[in-house]
Amino acid sequence: MTDGYIWAVVIGMAVANFAVRIVPVAVLSRLRLPRPVERWLSYIPVSVMAALVVGEVLRPGGDWRSLADNPYLLAAIPTALIYHRWRSFLGATVAGVLFFLAFRALLG
Amino acid sequence: MSSPTSQQPACPSARERLWRGVRLGFPIFLGYVPVGAAFGILARSWGFTSAQAVTCSATALAGAGQFIGLSLMYGGASVATVLLATTVVNLRYVLFGATLSPYLRGNAMPTQLWLAFSLTDETFAVNIDDNRRGLADAASMAGVGIVAWTGWVLGTGLGALGGSAIGDPTRWGVDFAMPAMFTALLVAQIEGRRHLAVAALAAVLAVGFMLVLPGKWYIIAASIVAAFVGAVAER
Repeated sequence: MTDGYIWAVVIGMAVANFAVRIVPVAVLSRLRLPRPVERWLSYIPVSVMAALVVGEVLRPGGDWRSLADNPYLLAAIPTALIYHRWRSFLGATVAGVLFFLAFRALLG
Repeated sequence: MSSPTSQQPACPSARERLWRGVRLGFPIFLGYVPVGAAFGILARSWGFTSAQAVTCSATALAGAGQFIGLSLMYGGASVATVLLATTVVNLRYVLFGATLSPYLRGNAMPTQLWLAFSLTDETFAVNIDDNRRGLADAASMAGVGIVAWTGWVLGTGLGALGGSAIGDPTRWGVDFAMPAMFTALLVAQIEGRRHLAVAALAAVLAVGFMLVLPGKWYIIAASIVAAFVGAVAER
């Protein structure tokens, strides 16, 4: 890879990634969205989160894991319960990592 | 107020709200450092200088988009192909930006630019949850963005410069930091049965779409359909 090629990609990526982020914000923050669209958008966060969790625990790092032998899936269960009980993101994240280490050690 | 330094202000200052965002985003930092390090190591081994790797992370902040770009570059793709791929992978930010836009209305232009620039899966998740509780504002969202960006850039720098000396960060279980945070955020989003039903539908759809769609497209596809069903059921 030549230096010029790499810099062209680096600069282009900066521009492209900023464009996909700024355009909806710049356009939509000036408009009032129709009620049905707002109602639809109100369900986007919970849907995105559910899809992200499924992706992260069933296919961590892009590789499918079996259901029985999966420390990601197992650790997600106490993580959810801990957040539900104590409502702390940092606490749930740290506890989740510890559960993950324990399950990974147990499963070998 | 006669002695502002000795009294607790009724409303937290912008600096306090910024710090609140930084604390809120700290789990993102924990998750980004190792993934950023992986990008730094990979970029160096495939011909980037450390400066190029760090510049790329600092200006693109694109996670999966950067990894895909890197693998296409390694495969000899043209600049246009690499840029098209990274844009397509990150098209979900259009959806995230649209969802966040009502909360960004009325902020100064530089603030909106920063909040848009620092939009990722993780900052979106943290900020939308905080907004829903009515706690977020521009300063706290900027703080979430700052701590996330710092983690990503710092990780890339450590990977690019330290490389093999760091060893494998996954032995500390950091690869579960992000899944753990998403799990907590999912629980936080579920308020009532309708949200639970929409989440369950999105989860099932995500598995189905993961089997047929490449990359991260399952996130967009599952979210669009599940949210549509939720909105229609609400009428």
